[in-house]
Amino acid sequence: MVENRPILTFLTHAILIVGVVFLCFPVWMALVASTHGPGALSQSPIPLWFGDQAWENYSQLLAGGLPEAGGVPIGMMMFNSAIMALVITFGKIVISILSAYAIVYFRFPFRMGFFWMIFVTLMLPVEVRILPTFDVVVKMGLLNTYAGLTVPLIASATATFLFRQFFLTIPDELVEAARIDRAGPIRFFKDILLPLSRTNIAALFIILFIYGWNQYLWPLLITTDESLYTVVMGIQRMVNSGEALPVWHYIMGTAVLAMIPPVLVVVLMQKLFVKGLVESEK
Amino acid sequence: MATLNIKSLGKIYPGGVTAVSDVNVDIADGEFIVLVGPSGCGKSTILRMIAGLESITSGDLQIGERRVNDLEPGERDIAMVFQNYALYPHMSVRGNMEYGLKNEGLPKDQIAERIAEAARTLRLEEYLDRKPAQLSGGQRQRVAMGRAIVRDPKVFLFDEPLSNLDAKLRTQLRAELKALHQRLGATFIYVTHDQVEAMSLADRIIIMNAGRVEQIGTPMDLYLRPASRFVADFIGSPAMNVVEGTVTEDRRGLLVDGSRDIRFADEIPATAGARIAMGIRPEHLSPDASGAAQFHLVVDFVEQLGADTVVHGKVSGTTVPLAVRLSGVQQHGSGEILELGCAADQLHLFDLSTGQRLN
Ligand SMILES: Nc1ncnc2c1ncn2[C@@H]1O[C@H](COP(=O)(O)OP(=O)(O)OP(=O)(O)O)[C@@H](O)[C@H]1O
Ligand SMILES: [Mg+2]
Repeated sequence: MVENRPILTFLTHAILIVGVVFLCFPVWMALVASTHGPGALSQSPIPLWFGDQAWENYSQLLAGGLPEAGGVPIGMMMFNSAIMALVITFGKIVISILSAYAIVYFRFPFRMGFFWMIFVTLMLPVEVRILPTFDVVVKMGLLNTYAGLTVPLIASATATFLFRQFFLTIPDELVEAARIDRAGPIRFFKDILLPLSRTNIAALFIILFIYGWNQYLWPLLITTDESLYTVVMGIQRMVNSGEALPVWHYIMGTAVLAMIPPVLVVVLMQKLFVKGLVESEK
Repeated sequence: MATLNIKSLGKIYPGGVTAVSDVNVDIADGEFIVLVGPSGCGKSTILRMIAGLESITSGDLQIGERRVNDLEPGERDIAMVFQNYALYPHMSVRGNMEYGLKNEGLPKDQIAERIAEAARTLRLEEYLDRKPAQLSGGQRQRVAMGRAIVRDPKVFLFDEPLSNLDAKLRTQLRAELKALHQRLGATFIYVTHDQVEAMSLADRIIIMNAGRVEQIGTPMDLYLRPASRFVADFIGSPAMNVVEGTVTEDRRGLLVDGSRDIRFADEIPATAGARIAMGIRPEHLSPDASGAAQFHLVVDFVEQLGADTVVHGKVSGTTVPLAVRLSGVQQHGSGEILELGCAADQLHLFDLSTGQRLN
């Protein structure tokens, strides 16, 4: 349905613009708030335009620790978040693509049994199995380590399932042609399957990076050592910093900084994502 | 280049479907063999067993005197061209062709040489750096053939390679394929369900029906002396006329719908009262009262094709339709009665229950 009436065009644009404004307003507010001094945000009306404190606020955030956030430098927290997001993302992609490969292309005993076991865990989000998982991590002595922070979140039924579905759409003839071309299992995986999965990997990378970056509950449980705090935790701690008034200008600045890496990943990977789409066959 | 020996080959799929049973054939070095038959008769299954893509349930398969039942596809010295091309979509034309050679560990300069030659043969030189998605169907099919050629295999296997192409391109590629076979001198095994393709390409045709071989022979063998009614029906266009009836007491006539119009010059090799089918090709009938079989045709309508005329009608006194192909332009009105006959070696008699040839 492609209509070409000016009124409709106007209406659709109006609705879209309203939507965009709604979505962007909080981001705008965070940006604005991070450029004001401490006083400006606790009185009404809240300013809607940039203040003059941007330089001071951001240099304070980046350079030194904030007493309100337990004195942990933002850079450190960002680094921890990045480690966590990247390890989770790579781990999930590697493990899930390998397990999907095994399930789709190899006949081994209880193959479907394993598939259903993985599938069933799809129905259990992290929050549901958080206590037993926590227990395991404690018993393995992984509290306050990067391993404890990342490994339990790596196993991923969703990604395995996604790759399985994708592999099933690859025609059998392609696999057979590769067999005739003397490609063993490893060559087939490396030369055929991986390149064909590029778009899927790029899409998953975006989703999983954001998933890893935004983890909140799990790091909160696993880390008590300040040198392992992630930025999402940091924001939360600043907001709940006990008796003192929340330092909104710093909190908003941290939020803006915390937004940058996921946005970068989306922007950069999107290019690859689209390129992959264009290059793959019709 | 190699012979291929198939001994009592059988395939039962998991789940109990018997797709192929007891196939025996010895294929000579450099022969062009076409496997033909209706859908689901087991052609692809045989081809895939030869390729090693499907396990062999029973029997033996030898390529060049070597038993290959348990070898991997890559070790059998065969190449296969698939119906849907099965090109690697992310590799260029060159990449597609050299992949197998790289895996074999062939030196770079030899790979380049072989690809250059195959590209020249198949007129693919200007497309070497394109991706398969940027090629037409016919070009893709040629790339698939190129991928087979560069491997220089003993046996080429083709599974309906032309069936995704339009009629004109099909005819053109058919000619190219035939020329390719002559130049390479390799053994070709080619699956199709198109009898015209089979007739025009094959040195020998294997015609299959429900997992069994009906007949093996040169195209002319199959055309002139079909071993069964199935073969008679399958080969030839327009299709052979088949009239079912009961052999008369004197064994010199056929009783059809109560009419005794069909007469034979000699006693036929069937007992009186037996149910048989008589087959005569439309092009073998002529206005000839002295033939091995004679009858009358009541004309319904006439198709003028220019070079020849096809007369459609019914065997006199019956409702059995029959077509006659007469050369040149012939005028016949509806209701006109023609006297027809055919030569002794153009008369085919089949047992109605077993379908086997009687004469
Ligand atoms: N993987 C399979 N599992 C079970 N049965 C199968 C399998 N593949 C084929 N069959 C059966 O085996 C029989 C022969 O199949 P095949 O593919 O060899 O037929 P074909 O002669 O190539 O037909 P077509 O002309 O349609 O390609 C069919 O009845 C089919 O249903
Ligand atoms: Mg087939």
